[in-house]
Amino acid sequence: MNQFKLKKDQIQKVGLSVVGFVFLLYIYFNFFLGPLNRSRNTMLATIKEKQSNLDSSRGEMSKATTLEQQAKTATTHFAAFKAMNPEGAPIAWFPPRMKIFFANQRIDKVSTRLEGTVGFKQAELVDWMKYSWLINLPQADYATVGKAVADLENAEPLLSITKLSIHLLQDQPQFQQVDLVATNIIQKK
Amino acid sequence: MALHLNLLHEEILEQRQRQRDPLKIGIMVLAGFGVLMFIYYMWNAYQTLQIKGRLSVVEREWAKVEPTVTAAQKRSAELNNIVKTTRVLDEYVEDRFFWAPFLQKVTRCVAPNTQLTGLEGSVSEDNKAITVSIEGLAAGREPRSAAEDLRQMLTEQLGQSYGDVNVEFKALEDLDTIVNVGGTNMAMARYVLTVNFSPSPLATKSAAASPPPRPTRVPKK
Repeated sequence: MNQFKLKKDQIQKVGLSVVGFVFLLYIYFNFFLGPLNRSRNTMLATIKEKQSNLDSSRGEMSKATTLEQQAKTATTHFAAFKAMNPEGAPIAWFPPRMKIFFANQRIDKVSTRLEGTVGFKQAELVDWMKYSWLINLPQADYATVGKAVADLENAEPLLSITKLSIHLLQDQPQFQQVDLVATNIIQKK
Repeated sequence: MALHLNLLHEEILEQRQRQRDPLKIGIMVLAGFGVLMFIYYMWNAYQTLQIKGRLSVVEREWAKVEPTVTAAQKRSAELNNIVKTTRVLDEYVEDRFFWAPFLQKVTRCVAPNTQLTGLEGSVSEDNKAITVSIEGLAAGREPRSAAEDLRQMLTEQLGQSYGDVNVEFKALEDLDTIVNVGGTNMAMARYVLTVNFSPSPLATKSAAASPPPRPTRVPKK
């Protein structure tokens, strides 16, 4: 039994060995196995993500194709809405357009001025603005105005007349003075 | 029994002591563990390399598909946006109030002895209520009743196309002026009518569409 009894220096050596062992474990797990496992886990997670992306990509592409077919009408409609308004600032083209329109309706005296613009609250119409115009027809007769208003409402689907005022001209009772407040929706350029 | 003499007793003891030197044993154990851990590390490294290979394959596949998928997603988002915007714009177009039919109806209501001198109308912000003020002159033996005829005519005509029609006199006053209509002198009255209605005829039509419950006949016994 005396043979297994350790001497003082032997105990020191055993202690040193244990400390060395612990140090080795620390080095091994912190500087070798740990980073390796971390990078492996990262790669596995990336593979999983990319794989799910790949799986969903097929669905996405078929969805886009189906949507393209379904939205054909809407796309055409939208293009038509966009085509209604020419390029440039509305103040530059809208008043002349009204002048030509009413001239074609045999109403020669027309003045159009911008009253204000306002954006939309709806998220769908963030790219569109509401322009409010005051169209003044100082000399027109009721029947012609009625026909012109009908044609205007049919020709300009994005235009809505919000106020209408018709008053008799005192000195020329056969004519009326007409004021229209019209709101037009125009895409921001 | 033969006598066995050990003359190298001390040397042998020293050698034995050297052999069971704890530091030496510890180093051997450490080396053993080190080898085991190295093997385990190499196994892990091998597995990691395999995973890296798999990852590069998946990444290559994704790199091939990604531009198409991104374009498809972008197009989908764009199309969804177009569909939603078009829907809202369509609603706006459909919800507009058309003034021309209204003006036509007013024309139908105006008799030769009720002249309109002014008309002012406005549409509410949500396009759900229309308010019109009509000002004019009525002539006749009883000009007030001529104005009342106009009011009733407007109620009837507008009620055919619009809902919640309400036509009321805001003002109705006799004038001292006498007017000659068709060779006959007639008294005049000035009126201001306030017309309120909803562009949708559904409000009144839905009420009219649901008939009142019929009285049930109890069979005679």
